[in-house]
Amino acid sequence: MSRKVFLPGCALPSYNPMNVEAVIKHLKNIYPDLSVVQKCCGKPTQAVGQAAKFEERFAGLVEDIKSCEAEEAIVACQSCMKTLAKGKGYKTTSLWELLPQIGLPKELVGKAKGSDVVFSVHDSCSVRDYTGIHDGIRWIVNELGYKQVDPEGRAREKARCCGFGGMVVPANPDVALRVMKRRVDDFPTEHIVVYCAACRQSFIKAGGKAWHILDLVFGDVVHANTPPPEDTLSKPLKAWRNRYRSKQLIKSAMR
Amino acid sequence: MAYDNSVLDKAREIAQDCQGGHLSFCSARCPMHTDAMGYVNLIGENKVTEALLKIREVVFLPGTLGRICAHPCEDKCRRNTEYGQPISIAALKRYAADKADDEKLWNTSKKPATGKKAAVIGCGPAGAQAAIDLAKEGHDVTIYEKLNVVGGMMRVGIPEYRLPRNVIDFEYTYLGKLGIQFKMGVEVGKDISFDELVKNYDVVIVANGAHKGFVPPIKGSESEGITNAADFLRAVSLDNKSVKVGNNVIVVGGGDVAMDCARSALRVGATNVTVVSLEKKDEMPASDHEQHGALEEGITFHCGWGGDEILNADGRVNGVRFKECTSVFDADGRFSPAYGENKLELECDTLIFATGQVVEDATDGTLQRGGGGRYSVDKQTLETAIDKVFAAGDCAGGTIVIEAMALGRKAAISANRFLAGQDLKADRDFKMEFHFESTLDIPLPEDAQDLPRKYTNALDPKERIKSFVECDLGFDGDVAEEEGQRCLKCECKKCMTECIMLNDFTQYPGEMFEKFLKDGDIEPLVAYSCNMCDQCTIVCPEEFKFAELFGAIRREMVKANNGESPMPGHKAIKMHQRLGFSKFFTVVAKGGKK
Ligand SMILES: Cc1cc2nc3c(=O)[nH]c(=O)nc-3n(C[C@H](O)[C@H](O)[C@H](O)COP(=O)(O)OP(=O)(O)OC[C@H]3O[C@@H](n4cnc5c(N)ncnc54)[C@H](O)[C@@H]3O)c2cc1C
Ligand code: SF4
Ligand code: SF4
Repeated sequence: MSRKVFLPGCALPSYNPMNVEAVIKHLKNIYPDLSVVQKCCGKPTQAVGQAAKFEERFAGLVEDIKSCEAEEAIVACQSCMKTLAKGKGYKTTSLWELLPQIGLPKELVGKAKGSDVVFSVHDSCSVRDYTGIHDGIRWIVNELGYKQVDPEGRAREKARCCGFGGMVVPANPDVALRVMKRRVDDFPTEHIVVYCAACRQSFIKAGGKAWHILDLVFGDVVHANTPPPEDTLSKPLKAWRNRYRSKQLIKSAMR
Repeated sequence: MAYDNSVLDKAREIAQDCQGGHLSFCSARCPMHTDAMGYVNLIGENKVTEALLKIREVVFLPGTLGRICAHPCEDKCRRNTEYGQPISIAALKRYAADKADDEKLWNTSKKPATGKKAAVIGCGPAGAQAAIDLAKEGHDVTIYEKLNVVGGMMRVGIPEYRLPRNVIDFEYTYLGKLGIQFKMGVEVGKDISFDELVKNYDVVIVANGAHKGFVPPIKGSESEGITNAADFLRAVSLDNKSVKVGNNVIVVGGGDVAMDCARSALRVGATNVTVVSLEKKDEMPASDHEQHGALEEGITFHCGWGGDEILNADGRVNGVRFKECTSVFDADGRFSPAYGENKLELECDTLIFATGQVVEDATDGTLQRGGGGRYSVDKQTLETAIDKVFAAGDCAGGTIVIEAMALGRKAAISANRFLAGQDLKADRDFKMEFHFESTLDIPLPEDAQDLPRKYTNALDPKERIKSFVECDLGFDGDVAEEEGQRCLKCECKKCMTECIMLNDFTQYPGEMFEKFLKDGDIEPLVAYSCNMCDQCTIVCPEEFKFAELFGAIRREMVKANNGESPMPGHKAIKMHQRLGFSKFFTVVAKGGKK
């Protein structure tokens, strides 16, 4: 079995460090020699147009992966998925494709059978071509026992952007908000499940009720009247505190 | 800002190939480019006044055209080419006019007076359109019209049961509101000489139509009781009570004019009306709609026969012998009928030839003329051999009302350039001055279905042949709305339905990048409002990758801005990214090495 490194990305640690810790614990049970790298892939720099700076930063991350002697990078962020695919010397796998292969922690399977919630699934627009990821997410939701539905004509390879992409939020917040609201309107049910923390932030901003897939896996069972988790990503202080906390949790989980 | 060639090349490709500005099939086929898609859809949304205003942006005769336009747009309508069931575009136009037209809505604005004088010969659609366009440019326009009524062939050719005269009169009041002067009952060449007009005006538009009918020189054609379509229909139009026909009428001809003659003959007292055409039934040029109307009214057809001899008694026609026509056109497509041995004899007491009309000279021989008596003109500009004289409409090559209007507009554009001392051809978009084949190449909408065309209500044939009252009753409101909703909305702009931000900056990307190339730059906010989500690319038939292009533009903007984003909001990202890579928030935890 090839050696693996897990990369939680940026948004997930800033949103919910416990989820990061829980994933690592689960992965380590199966891959005892797992490594973990928490670092940005540089995508924002690239999106802004700072080509040289991006190259430099991304090269640093590839170095980190290599230093772990890993042959496979497992990523929880769809931007990382695409950015890392550009690097050489390792293979990139999405966590969402991996989980159906290795299974969820046994005690969590079927935990939400009694929930009255029907989740609308939001696919990240950056991975429209990754059918395996779409299937994986639906598999997870189902494995947990939740009911789910796709926004008709706007799922999978036809998914619409959540409004966060391209660094538009700081540049043109008005446009970004309109895109966010439109995406929320696509969903046939009130409850939305996403697999990117930034997408979740977008939908909360637009007045939607959204959960990260890992909230469903590791958090309490969601019922119709359960409020969505708070929007920590919109609170910079909390977000950075979380990111730091995540770093600490990674360290202790890896000990 | 100077951009890299790779960016400029991409922008050029988009400016050139983007289909966003391509006209719909219907609108491209309309010589005036009426926005059929636009008004059809507004009617579908029950926004009838908006629809009427959209029509009136282009044509001043919505009620008239809605009734009698030959509607070439419907041939090219995608619902016709895909399913053989075109949108009833013309009938919807009439619906909008009948329901919502109101002179208070008319745009009578004009440019400041230029002091230049224009004379227009003829008050048909070509002359009227030229007069309108010149008046709007601020020129002083006078129309010289031989008859005492307005409308040209629409008035004295097209019968009243298809086009009530009050509709024409009402719509022509628009010209008066623009300050256009009328000299009615003045025939140029008789009551005033053409030279005089040329001398007294800065420009002259000749639009006297084709009003001379003829009787082919076959044996017996000098008999009494024979007439031609132009004379017959003019007489019927000006005073139908004064027109006398026999019980048995034969109309020779296979076009819509023949149908008009036949159906009018019924209404002025004939009991048996027979149409005899050279063409076989399925080759007859008359529209299906008119043939159908004639059949319903009990008119008989004999198709595939040519006149051999007119039979007479005491100098009066009493029948016609026809010979079988085996083919109308020769191998090269030229009109050259060939005949067989078979003969057919039919009795009649009135014989009408609807075999074409030619142009009568209104210029006292000043202008050169060619086939059909039409004036020799430069097809692009409609200029004649005399500098200040332009010709338009049927006398310059048109065949239907909407073409006459487009030619009237073309002549006005040329005349206006001439008056301004400009070159007649430089930087002129000739393509837009007449119909063309739409270059739209887009897939059918995913949910498109073959839905049946809706038809208007018509008067009972038994009732309607008793008078000249209008046959077609038009659409009921709910039917019109449904018909409007059948439109397939043939435009590209697919990206515009997917991308929110593009709509804030442009009508379609082709326009945006044309401007970019012209200005040499683009607002940073545009490039930085792209979510890089590729939604545009998914739907674009050209698969343009705007995320990539905006990304490339951003990189150039950063380069030109000392490595920083030009967007003030991105200052925070800089900090964010610095932290995202800092030791404090990152960790590399190597496994399996304890
Ligand atoms: C019977 C018939 C039916 C038709 N039906 C249709 C139809 O359903 N749909 C359609 O789109 N087209 C139809 N057409 C064709 C259409 O009518 C013509 O293409 C159109 O009217 C041409 O417009 P115009 O302005 O060039 O000429 P016209 O409409 O012919 O107008 C010319 C005007 O000039 C005037 N004039 C002529 N000589 C002089 C002079 N010396 N001095 C002053 N004034 C003069 C005439 O009196 C007339 O008013 C039909 C034609 C005919 C004959
Ligand atoms: S989708 Fe947009 S960019 Fe593509 S051809 Fe159509 S209008 Fe142009
Ligand atoms: S379907 Fe509508 S837009 Fe398309 S050609 Fe017909 S009328 Fe025009």
